[in-house]
Amino acid sequence: MRPILLSGHERALTQIKYNRDGDLLFSVSKDQQICVWFAHNGERLGTYHGHQGAIWTIDVDPTSTILASGSADNTIRLWEIKTGRLLKTWDFPTAVKRVEFSEDGSKLLGVTEKRMGHLGTIVVLDIKLDVDAEQSDEKVMTIVCEDSKATVAGWSYLSKYIIAGHEDGSVSQFDGKNGDLLYNIPIHELNQPITDLQWSHDRTYFITASKDKTSKLITAKDLEVLKTYPADTPLNSATITRKKDYVILGGGQAAMDVTTTSARQGKFEARFYHKIFESEIGRVRGHFGPLNTVAADPTGKSYASGGEDGYVRIHHFDKGYYDFMYEVERERQNKLNQQQQQQTVSA
Amino acid sequence: MATLQQKHDWADDDELEETSTELPPPQKITNKDGSTTIIEYRLNDNGQKVKTTRRIRYITHREVVNPRVADRKSWAKFGLSAKDGAGPAPDTTSVGENIIFKPSFNWRQDAKDESKDPNAQAMKDKLKDKKVKCRICNGEHFTARCPYKDTMAPIGEAGAAADAAASAADEAAAASQGTAGAGKKGSYVPPALRGAGGAAAAGERMGGKYGERDDLATLRVTNVSEMAEEQELRDMFERFGRVTRVFLAKDRDTGLAKGFAFISFADRSDAVKACAKMDGFGFRHLILRVEFAKKAA
Repeated sequence: MRPILLSGHERALTQIKYNRDGDLLFSVSKDQQICVWFAHNGERLGTYHGHQGAIWTIDVDPTSTILASGSADNTIRLWEIKTGRLLKTWDFPTAVKRVEFSEDGSKLLGVTEKRMGHLGTIVVLDIKLDVDAEQSDEKVMTIVCEDSKATVAGWSYLSKYIIAGHEDGSVSQFDGKNGDLLYNIPIHELNQPITDLQWSHDRTYFITASKDKTSKLITAKDLEVLKTYPADTPLNSATITRKKDYVILGGGQAAMDVTTTSARQGKFEARFYHKIFESEIGRVRGHFGPLNTVAADPTGKSYASGGEDGYVRIHHFDKGYYDFMYEVERERQNKLNQQQQQQTVSA
Repeated sequence: MATLQQKHDWADDDELEETSTELPPPQKITNKDGSTTIIEYRLNDNGQKVKTTRRIRYITHREVVNPRVADRKSWAKFGLSAKDGAGPAPDTTSVGENIIFKPSFNWRQDAKDESKDPNAQAMKDKLKDKKVKCRICNGEHFTARCPYKDTMAPIGEAGAAADAAASAADEAAAASQGTAGAGKKGSYVPPALRGAGGAAAAGERMGGKYGERDDLATLRVTNVSEMAEEQELRDMFERFGRVTRVFLAKDRDTGLAKGFAFISFADRSDAVKACAKMDGFGFRHLILRVEFAKKAA
């Protein structure tokens, strides 16, 4: 596995995201530009300019036409992916920490920071998936997080719920239509912020990463914890892979402590866990700083990680990755193969 | 034409070619196995003719790609990449060193061996069950405290490993030495006072088995090739009887042999035989000189 190093950013990466077809990779960092790369060879397609502050978050709509980004300059911006043209800017009172398109791309949620007397909010905007259409200024919905600010949020299947992870380690479920709070469950350790929330391909369950050194797989419908993946370092990001039942966790020593710890102790590795058996199956080294964000290719061919060191590394999996199976998995595979053979014989 | 070619001396061929500035036209040959050989000529910076032969096989690899993905590949670059040509730009994209990633249940065990070395704590754990070994006699003491340090040069590592029988005897001797030296508890004893405590031990040492072996069944081999290996010497001398120890002096920095070696036999009669036969033996272009080792002064 030869990683492709992308050095388009001058500062720490904050989020990376594949589009749905898995051919484009978007990356944002604390410098003020967005980069888009071809995932297969690491070629940079372009950059998007306009933000005046660190960019915290990015998302791409399911048709790969429009890009949304949220920044510390208190704006959410929409971009045309193909040309890099700025389509729309929404202003907010505080920084935007997370944006996410709904499953069909018709809505966009944004998580705003709690600061300067403003409470943290989750705002929902209507999006017209057309680069030439006029986007409305109106916020469709605003959810105010009074107890603990939301750090991450996302849309569940069919935009039915909005799931938010909070700074106090709890996870909330809001109604996707009217914004009512349905559940708020303490999932992670108290006051250990949830740092990432990424969906399974069908958005029925999601994975969280937390500073409490664990990552959890949770259902969207009733916030039931399905699996827990313990790590030995604070986690910044977690993602679910396709094709193979793995999860990838990224983390490491907190960024401010990096200079006082050696690279080996810093645990700057991507950790692979088996999604179902919850056991760690391997690590991938390479970054010189903590991993701030990891993303798995929706086609299952690769994964990418972005680090505090300013690099994005794209890893295309090789045969050993696909061949690995637990004994029970292999037995099941053999049984299925036999059944298939019998069926073909009888037919 | 034929006569002209006959007259032409083949020895001039080379020179003629060099002086001609004309380059032969590139050739393209289709091989039987489907590959193509392309031969091209060019002049390099020194005006010399360079012939490049490439053998190429074209394989058509068809891949069905999502039409949306295919369309995106043809998009024009924009932003900071607007001026980049086709393909990855070297300033933003590079390829890292190969990472071997193989998921496994016991990856932790595999990884541990790698991470151990630079770690001080791990090093300590490693050394926990290591014993102190003398470089001179293989005894369980530091080389500086070896009772034989005045009489023998340090033995090489490979020789030491093979020296099972001899070291067993040494250990017994070292153990007795150890009990005598236990009272000192490692503190420094001036040379003037050393005689009093260790008199008995010293006496024993002089008549010890080690000295006997040194006298009786050890051969000194000189004029050994620099490239010689201990194993080679061992093989050569083992023909005459059981060899208990081979020591080939090597340079610490270069690892090359210094040109002399000691061979200890289990039996003196074997040593006598070996001495007679191997003296003057040609080994690696050099003639060996074999004699009985003299006791160090």
